[in-house]
Amino acid sequence: MNKPRTYKLLFCLFLCLLLWLINLSLGSVAIPLRALIERLAGIPFERDSWEIIVMEYRLPKSLTAVLVGIALPISGLQMQTFFRNPLAGPYVLGISSGAGLGVALLSMAGTAFGWHCLQGSGNHWAAIVAASLGAIAVLVLMGLAAWKVRDSMSLLIVGLMFGSAASSLITLLAYFSAAEELKMFTIWSMGNLGNSGWSELGLLSVLLLLGLLPALLSVKAFNAMLLGENYAISMGINFERLRWSMILSTGLLTGSITAFCGPIAFIGIAVPHLARLLFRTNDHTFLFPAAALLGVLVLLVCDSISQLPGMASSLPINAVTTAFGAPLIIWLIMRRNFSEAF
Amino acid sequence: MNEASNIQRVEASSIHARDLDLGYRAPQTLIAKGISFDLFPGELTCLMGPNGVGKSTLLKAILHQNPPLKGKVFLDQVDVSVLSNRQRAKKLAVVLTEKITSGEMTVNELVALGRVPHTGWSGLLSPRDKLMVKKVLDLTHISHLANKKLAALSDGQRQTALIARALAQDSKVLILDEPTAHLDLTNRFEIMHLLRHLAKKSSRAILVVTHDLEVAMETADKLWIMEARKPLLAGCPEDLMIQGQIQRLLPGDKWQIDPQSGKIRLLDPAKLPNIEGPSHLSQWIRNVFRKNPELYQPKQIRVRDQPFGISLFFPNREEKVTSIAEMIRFLRTQPT
Repeated sequence: MNKPRTYKLLFCLFLCLLLWLINLSLGSVAIPLRALIERLAGIPFERDSWEIIVMEYRLPKSLTAVLVGIALPISGLQMQTFFRNPLAGPYVLGISSGAGLGVALLSMAGTAFGWHCLQGSGNHWAAIVAASLGAIAVLVLMGLAAWKVRDSMSLLIVGLMFGSAASSLITLLAYFSAAEELKMFTIWSMGNLGNSGWSELGLLSVLLLLGLLPALLSVKAFNAMLLGENYAISMGINFERLRWSMILSTGLLTGSITAFCGPIAFIGIAVPHLARLLFRTNDHTFLFPAAALLGVLVLLVCDSISQLPGMASSLPINAVTTAFGAPLIIWLIMRRNFSEAF
Repeated sequence: MNEASNIQRVEASSIHARDLDLGYRAPQTLIAKGISFDLFPGELTCLMGPNGVGKSTLLKAILHQNPPLKGKVFLDQVDVSVLSNRQRAKKLAVVLTEKITSGEMTVNELVALGRVPHTGWSGLLSPRDKLMVKKVLDLTHISHLANKKLAALSDGQRQTALIARALAQDSKVLILDEPTAHLDLTNRFEIMHLLRHLAKKSSRAILVVTHDLEVAMETADKLWIMEARKPLLAGCPEDLMIQGQIQRLLPGDKWQIDPQSGKIRLLDPAKLPNIEGPSHLSQWIRNVFRKNPELYQPKQIRVRDQPFGISLFFPNREEKVTSIAEMIRFLRTQPT
């Protein structure tokens, strides 16, 4: 084990815990950190309203942020290594657009097909299934394309095209949908970490664990892929299996996050770069945990900002992550020897 | 007797194949036909041939990335098509022409990747794996670079590190695709001598695809010469040179290989002037006339050493110059 890197990881973990507490304390009602720490130690809150605010709203929301922060960077990191392209990520390959199309079909095609979903609060599940199906459909199409075109640049372009095609279908659906449905979809597409209650969180965690498993089992293969596909095969890596494990893993991770929280922008592509930059390594045994921890950090910060501490309203999470992600990407690209570091 | 010894040799070979047809399936394209070869342990073999003749296709057939259209390749007497990727990786390691983009990777991490076929699912190195990495770094004399990032290496160092990675795979066969392309003169020799040393020391079979005849003559035990639509020609480099078979590397009649120096040069023009003098000087004067066939040729040229001087003899006079540049300048002024 590399000592300084391990310390950096531990420091990130400590920061995550600190930010998690800060995240819980901030919001329209400020709850002192001291009270939160005492509550953790078993001493009840001074006010009952705090208990409800924390247990029913802030805790599930912050845990959702944690899950998103783990899932999307790991999904993006797999894509970037697999396609050997620094600009790859869940968005670029159209998975999010596919999930969006699933939800759009569910929420906006109601008028055309005569169903009414996303209307009540209990219909998260329908949205979740629709988004997952959409994401898996795009990924299977990508897999087929991957089977046909061997070189990864063409595959990325195919992915972009799938994304554009899905977006155009969404536009069509939006054009013919009722105003109320359209607003619902638009708000869905802005991302929301606060949608999930405890039961949703439970399912999301299970799905993410299932999605993380293939990635963890492929750490060695991803390290071998750093030298390119041909080297990886020459070192005994089963490339076909890696391809399908990557499709399964990123499909589950991105698909379920998009289903539960909407398309969360930029995290999936920017955080893996942040991890490479801060830890100065390409070794996936470090990069996977580093990207996950940094993702949690970033999302907790973004969520704390979006809660607009001290004010009654909050900002859509995508507005905050993109405001954070775009300058980061620009900064990364302006850095000299960025391509060397990748 | 002859046949019996042949059979014995086939049994000892690390890779062998008989009568392969190489090419691509969709669309069906035949690139080379009737290719047979034996690669022996302890030998450095150089595969040479013009571009497009099927060298890469032959490599892909051995690596089972593009199986031959007809025939089978045997690795350690086992048909490569029945081996799994991992089994093959334990017998055969490669150095490819692919560019390595992961600049943050250290030499140590790169070489450790060579242990991939031997480690468990997590890729964690056992003490034995770590020992092997260390041994290989020592063997290739790059231990001092172990913690350097790949982006900080020179081309020669990076190539050595890639060879070390392949060695860490601990396979009996090593295949390198143009390992000396983009390298300077010294590094070309260093790398090839390192490979020769490795072949001898650990009795590995090493196959190198190269266009570098000069270095190949200097280091190879065997040459394999591939020519468009002809069987592969294998032999001791010196034999191939003496027999003139090496000329097959140069299709067309513009170039030739000088059997004396082993260097490629322009075919001698129809007429060269008569040059007298020590051969290490006269060869360079000849070189000038080969390069400049349009140059006016004196009847006779005499060159001498210490002090260096050239005398140009014309039917009715003699001209003395003190450098080759001066000789060229003078001859340019002569009517042709």
